[in-house]
Amino acid sequence: MVQIDLAEITVRQANELIREYGAQGEDIDIVNPDARHHIGVGLTDAVTVRVHGSAGYFCAGLSDAARFEVESNVGWGLGDNMYSGSVVVGGNASAIAGVAIRGAEIVIRGNMGSRAGQVMKAGTLLCGGNANFMAGYLMYGGRIVILGDSGERVGEDMAGGEIYVGGKVQSLGSDAKMGDSEGTEIDDIRAFLERYEISYKGGFQKIVNEGKKLHYKTSEQQMRSIPFVAFSGKSDYWNPKIQEDIHIKSQIGRYRVRGYGGARELPHLSDITFARDISDFSDISNPVSNVEMHTLIGGKHGATPLDLSMPVMIAPMSYGALSRSTKQAIGMASTLAGIAENTGEGGMSDAQRGAAKQLIFQCLGGRLGWNIHDMKRANGLEIYISQGAKPGFGGQLMAKKVTKELAEIRGIPQGIDLRSPSRHPDILGGDDLLIKVEELREATGYKLPVSVKLGAGRIRDDIKIAYKDGFDFVELDGMQGSTGAGGAEVMEYVGIPTISAIMDALDGLAEIDAAGDIQIILMGGLRDGVDAVKSLCLGASAVAFGNATIVAGGCISCMQCHVGQCVTGIATQDPEHEKRYRPEVEAHNIHRFLESVRWQIAALTQALGYDDVKSLNRDDLVALTPEAAAITRLPYRPDLRERQALVEAV
Amino acid sequence: MCGIAGIMFKNGRNDHETGVALVDMLDGCQHRGRDSTGFALYGEEHRNELKLRFLVGEGAAANESEALIKTALEAHDAEIVEDRRVGNTYQAVVKFDGDLRSFAYAMEHAAPEAKVISIGQSLDIVKDIGGAHDVDDRFHVHEFKGSHGLGHVRLATESDVRPESAHPFWATGFSDVAIVHNGQITNYWKMRRRLEQRDFEFRTDNDSELIAVYLADKMATGVPLREALKDSIEDLDGTFSFLVSTKDEIGYAKDHLAAKPMVMYENDDLIVIASEEVSLNRLFPGQALNTKEPPPGSYDTWSKST
Repeated sequence: MVQIDLAEITVRQANELIREYGAQGEDIDIVNPDARHHIGVGLTDAVTVRVHGSAGYFCAGLSDAARFEVESNVGWGLGDNMYSGSVVVGGNASAIAGVAIRGAEIVIRGNMGSRAGQVMKAGTLLCGGNANFMAGYLMYGGRIVILGDSGERVGEDMAGGEIYVGGKVQSLGSDAKMGDSEGTEIDDIRAFLERYEISYKGGFQKIVNEGKKLHYKTSEQQMRSIPFVAFSGKSDYWNPKIQEDIHIKSQIGRYRVRGYGGARELPHLSDITFARDISDFSDISNPVSNVEMHTLIGGKHGATPLDLSMPVMIAPMSYGALSRSTKQAIGMASTLAGIAENTGEGGMSDAQRGAAKQLIFQCLGGRLGWNIHDMKRANGLEIYISQGAKPGFGGQLMAKKVTKELAEIRGIPQGIDLRSPSRHPDILGGDDLLIKVEELREATGYKLPVSVKLGAGRIRDDIKIAYKDGFDFVELDGMQGSTGAGGAEVMEYVGIPTISAIMDALDGLAEIDAAGDIQIILMGGLRDGVDAVKSLCLGASAVAFGNATIVAGGCISCMQCHVGQCVTGIATQDPEHEKRYRPEVEAHNIHRFLESVRWQIAALTQALGYDDVKSLNRDDLVALTPEAAAITRLPYRPDLRERQALVEAV
Repeated sequence: MCGIAGIMFKNGRNDHETGVALVDMLDGCQHRGRDSTGFALYGEEHRNELKLRFLVGEGAAANESEALIKTALEAHDAEIVEDRRVGNTYQAVVKFDGDLRSFAYAMEHAAPEAKVISIGQSLDIVKDIGGAHDVDDRFHVHEFKGSHGLGHVRLATESDVRPESAHPFWATGFSDVAIVHNGQITNYWKMRRRLEQRDFEFRTDNDSELIAVYLADKMATGVPLREALKDSIEDLDGTFSFLVSTKDEIGYAKDHLAAKPMVMYENDDLIVIASEEVSLNRLFPGQALNTKEPPPGSYDTWSKST
């Protein structure tokens, strides 16, 4: 047994020691903890850690297999995301104890704060005293045992799992109901209590999911196929899109959900062009070898940066919305192109990890598939706040796609109409976010860049928080971005256009004198290398392609991604459909598309008179429409509208 | 987007090391915000006198503001007992027994470049950009002795990083009321318009100033602090944890969703409240404290004489 004195060293140093001792199988005593945050974060060895005093936020967070004993109290997020192992707390636990646990045993001898067990998937959270409000909020599985009173709104929006209350059930949360407990369940709880030497002789009331919210009774039927061009509604007022919309709503009685990109015409990169006439490409030869495109992303705080052969990445898209084979193909294409891929929500598959040389692992509010082991094998970590197509909303995955296998990876009940939480349990402001970022860094030894994905909303404020909270880079997503499933009206009317997003971000940084101090990856409806170059000129450090890679890999743009019966095997979890998708073939298609992007970036950079993409700047651009000019403050040049379309030129 | 801290010694004496305690507690939660730091300090009460502190900046503009403030003080029959410049502030102790609200508003308009940051018989507020130790170095907060006080570290999101946007906020127009707040009041403009219709003035667009004025307005009509806090939980929308102090009392309120943290520790001698236990532990190193987390939608007050 070894001792670590937190009066002598920092938590960061202590955590390094804890992992070292853990690897050697040594038990650890921690003295003078004085409620410091992140104690024991990221430990994955089956040793015992005794904390002599109180611990702060995220004690034992992102750990697996270790046993923690805390003599006194703990702060927010006790045992965050623990897989196996245990924590025993002698005193009280603050808010969100047992958040997102996936199998651990957490025992709090005193009281526990609000939202205990939020988005937990498996394991046991036991509170010897009283719980505060919304215990079991959004829980997907596992059990919570409260020996005292339940607190208000117990089981709020739970989707699965059981809550047992020994004391008074103060009030039930939305979509929760009283259930019947069988003798064996109670015997099992009593055995658990005995194991932790807790004496309790009283009975239990059981609370379960009522099943009203995450199950749509009537599914949305497609009436007839409307091509995307007609769907974008440019024809008459009562066009086919409007008619279809009303017909379907008259059947289902709710808002519609669909996939693919926004259809409304909005100011976009196509409303911007280059100041210089570059339609003559006869002087351009072999641009790819003449132009420096190599880009490092995310090294500003000392982490190993992503090493991109060109300023391009793959936008985050989930395994869930997309099939495993599709994620694998995209991963392979990213490796062939020398760029980085992103897991999106829903975890990391071995196929994807194997295929993508550089892979960002995304952390969302539901913590679906999020875990320490995949964090350790990622090349970057990313906190998702929102996405451009539906800012303020979580992911939507209809029941058809929530197969047994997918449900297991995400840790959720099979066959629910999943609406992922739109908020993180432990990020309610810039202050909490900072503590969360530190947790991710502590868990992975400060080796990985940590980024934030922002869907364009109040970007001017949000980018300041991103900068102040020490992120390595920002992935910024405008409303022209696509999605696997989103409310139709949300997709067309909620976000802000991609060119507004980048302008707001740059303005926000300039306001705090931080212009150029944090890298921005721009995405949201980018279609080719021309859009990429315009984005780089506007001030992005790199761009990301999402929908374009899907289309390159065989998508037929039917906008039925949410249904789960994608005929191309892309947006489906049905093995019958997925077997039509040939990852090796599509990987090369996607790769060829990415190479076309590379050539366009290089050719345009050279045509603009530079030999390095980092030289691209705002002076290279003009606006073709008054809206784009107003948004970007670029010179308004309507006279250039007649110029030969650039896409044809390059 | 902040860290807050408050301390009150219960024996009614004014010689406790409140400055040192608050600097330590804020240093403990500095990670919650590094843009600005501030302190509301309650020392010995000056009866028939008022302590005023103005933000005047530096250099020639500051000299000009100081001269204008002195003229305005004289015009309002406020006799300067002592005054001095500290850092970017001008501090004056004056004899004054007129109507405080009109006096306070007049002082706000005394010099175009100056801003009042506190007025009180016992209250003094110091706040500036930088961390707890930066502000302490400039204003010698650690030398301050008193009965109670509040502190705040800020991570600015919506409003600017300027000394006047730092917390604590003085309840503009009311003496000796200060507030520190972590959170966001979502019905800010609605509440502000209501108060403005009754001729209250606001110096900033910061929602925390509104809480201070809202509470002070209630207390001015004879409502005890406790009642005012109880009402605030129903009247204010949003997520908030705030601490408020008067000459004799300290109190907290926390919204129904409890999205902003708060933890407290009380013994026979003192009550300390902070965003995080790590701040409380700074005062009791090496000890496991028997702390309490206030439940959602709750409030409480403590008085220095009990």
